[in-house]
Amino acid sequence: MILNTILMATSSVLAPTPGLAMPDVMAIKVAKAETVSDGTIHNAVILVEDGKIAVVGEDLPIERGIRVVDLGPDSVAIPGLVNAYSRQGMDSRGSNDSQPQQLASDELYPGYIYYPEILDAGVTTLGLYPAGNGIPGRAVAIRPHGKDKAEMIVQDDVYLKMLLRSNSSSKKMITDGFEKADEYIEKETKAHEKWEKAKEKAEKDKKKKKDDDDKKVAEVGPYVPPVPDAKAKAFQQLRDRELRALISIGSAGDYLHLIDAIDDEDFDWDLRIPVNRSLNIFYVKRELGELGCRVVMEPSLSMHPNTRRLRNLPMELSEAGAKLVLIPRSDSLSNHQSWLKDTGELIKAGLPRDVALRALTHEPAEILGLGERLGSLSAGKDANILFFKSDPFEPGTEIEAVMLEGKIVSGEVN
Amino acid sequence: MKTLKSSTTWITSCALALYALPSPVHASSALWLDDDDDKDEEEESKAIPEEDKDRYFLVENAEVHTGTGQVLRDASVLGKNGKIVEIGYNLEVPGRDYYLDVPEDERDFRVQILDAKGLRVYPGLVAISSSGLAGTSGDFRNSVNPFSQSMVLGLAAGITSTGSGRSAIKLKRYMSTEHGLPYDFDGIVLSESTYASMSYNSAASKRALREKLIAARDYLVKYRRWEIDVKKDKELKEPDKKGVDPNVLNVLRGNVLGRFRASDRGDLLAIARLAQEFGFRPVIDGCREGWTVADELGRAGAMAIITARDRRDKNETLVREGGSSIENGALLAQAGVPIAIVPAGKGVDLGGIVGRDIMHLPIEVGFAIRGGLSEELALASITIVPARMMGIDHRVGTLEVGKDCDLIVTDGDLLHYQTFVQYAVVDGEQVYDKEDEMFFAHIRPRADASIAPEERLDAGENDDGEEESVEGDAEEEGSDD
Repeated sequence: MILNTILMATSSVLAPTPGLAMPDVMAIKVAKAETVSDGTIHNAVILVEDGKIAVVGEDLPIERGIRVVDLGPDSVAIPGLVNAYSRQGMDSRGSNDSQPQQLASDELYPGYIYYPEILDAGVTTLGLYPAGNGIPGRAVAIRPHGKDKAEMIVQDDVYLKMLLRSNSSSKKMITDGFEKADEYIEKETKAHEKWEKAKEKAEKDKKKKKDDDDKKVAEVGPYVPPVPDAKAKAFQQLRDRELRALISIGSAGDYLHLIDAIDDEDFDWDLRIPVNRSLNIFYVKRELGELGCRVVMEPSLSMHPNTRRLRNLPMELSEAGAKLVLIPRSDSLSNHQSWLKDTGELIKAGLPRDVALRALTHEPAEILGLGERLGSLSAGKDANILFFKSDPFEPGTEIEAVMLEGKIVSGEVN
Repeated sequence: MKTLKSSTTWITSCALALYALPSPVHASSALWLDDDDDKDEEEESKAIPEEDKDRYFLVENAEVHTGTGQVLRDASVLGKNGKIVEIGYNLEVPGRDYYLDVPEDERDFRVQILDAKGLRVYPGLVAISSSGLAGTSGDFRNSVNPFSQSMVLGLAAGITSTGSGRSAIKLKRYMSTEHGLPYDFDGIVLSESTYASMSYNSAASKRALREKLIAARDYLVKYRRWEIDVKKDKELKEPDKKGVDPNVLNVLRGNVLGRFRASDRGDLLAIARLAQEFGFRPVIDGCREGWTVADELGRAGAMAIITARDRRDKNETLVREGGSSIENGALLAQAGVPIAIVPAGKGVDLGGIVGRDIMHLPIEVGFAIRGGLSEELALASITIVPARMMGIDHRVGTLEVGKDCDLIVTDGDLLHYQTFVQYAVVDGEQVYDKEDEMFFAHIRPRADASIAPEERLDAGENDDGEEESVEGDAEEEGSDD
């Protein structure tokens, strides 16, 4: 009975004529829904309406007339995977300079042949970043599905990609960027002062002239701020938190140099830390944990430098308090296909399962600034859902079906 | 202000303790006493920022070799904010010996205590030249890798400062601790111009350098005359620097030492004569045949950078003495030539035969001792002498009050082949502990590990009892008021 009211509340179209199935409403029953936002719900019912998740709950009664799909006793549903850091389908080359105004969406090629297969692998959202070292530009969030750019793009201009290494030229790109923004502010303040003075003067003149005659007084138009330099604008946007940065570093030393370069600037940034054989980021895990920043890493074990001792760095950083974001081991189709299985290896090596799932869904969605829309199975979110017949992290498990914004785009449910 | 002391016992004890503290807390304590007790709690919750806290480092119960010739047994070295403030006996530190009443969160100091019972303390070693221990030459501030393995191995070898390229840098690691401060990038570089490179071997280079020296000398003469004349006539213009090599000028002015690379007797003699003619002290890197002309070099005020194990046959076409000699260091030193010793390999070398790379300064020095060099001069050759050659001896090279708190703690005579560096301290911060690094921890492990100050205060029933009794004393004192 309660559900009736919920359903009524959530959907105004839900006054079903008996016997007539609503085409855009669907209820899916799964044995286990790993929602990310609200833990695991057993015997869950997920109601999908107009491409959005209307409600998720345990054993909810379903209104007659709604299409019901029951996936059976061992079925599992998880949110669609979000790979926030990819260059799938993009082939331009970058340079080493600072180009914060570039948009990755400009090089998006909708005809890329592997997008359907990436979608088949359960990746419902991709964050594509522009190529290049230095500051190559802004990323775009897409769904790997659609005929043209407009259909594919979920959100453009999602994060500013930067690369920082332990050298002065690299650090200078960041300091210079903020300096440029400072210069613009100065310029803008001056322009505004000038305009105000002109306006004051014009008003005075007006009063004077009124007494004399109706002589013409130069009109001062509304204030138009000077157009900022494209580079300055990007850094101003960072400061204003209209844009967040994803900064790639390669070692613990780079991290200290980054902190040195950022100095007192206050903006939102996440870190991309490639996991390689001898990554030494554990030296600063306390600092990363205290910051609580996001770290984008591969689901790979690495070795303590100069030893054969395995380390689970994604787990260590997560335990220290950093927010973990996992991406495929490499940006290839096959690694997108083995992404869940690879993440399973980290779980076997100690990474908590809920952290792992979150690192594949909600946290990458946050990097893309789409945390409100994507990344969990909860009311109001886009209905990007993956369905399995067994544990998704087990090596043998295959994806049964992929739902993208309410539509089954891969596999079948019935 | 003392008359303001409140009658409540608790405040009195705190105020007494805070009274002498040079810190924001001190300032606020005066206000604090004026206010009602109710407001005290608000003041209390104000945490002191880490960067405002004084940082003390105490190493005690050690045999302290200051590097100035003194050895103090069962002595202590106290560092404050990276500088040595006291060397002596029974030194006291806040938090352990006084200011015990100040609660942990109101302390404007942090103390690290290293008990070095049975161990020796030496100044941190200074490698006159090395490569790859910290970052990329030229811009260490922006390229240093504070986590590099080479840096750890350098510290394990006892090196705390080194020349690298034209710069002198510190091996400063980043120690991640709960109360850590941001990494001190600016503290890495001791100097960016430790020497002026000079060449005086071929006919062309001899002519070129001589011309530069003459030009610089003439300029200095003119400048000196101007300095006198300008007092009478203020309009007088400073002499024109055009055509004067700034490096050579700096050498003649004594701002920086000129460094030559030379080993053959003939070259060495030529440099000695040149130096005497123009009145500067040359540093001679190599100096293999120096022992054959040691008197001349000594008279010219030359200094030498030698590799004790350097071996080369003499030129048999010449009748006079030549070639390398294990006595080189000893004979040079005897003639009054200060020597710095450096191994043949300038980097950390983990392949080939061990013992010839930068990690083996004391071993290299051992060969000079075998050739007759005194142990005191041997220690100086890897500490204060190289520091002087680089113009950083006001900061490092010996343990003296006012200098940087850079020291190493060893388990025996530094110059003995069996000795290991147990701890290294840079700017009053422990940056190396043999037992914490994987390289040598397994070799003759220490019986008892380092003692962290907090653990020492908190652990065990005795310490708890002590703390309680201290509080009790304070209360008694207060009630007397």
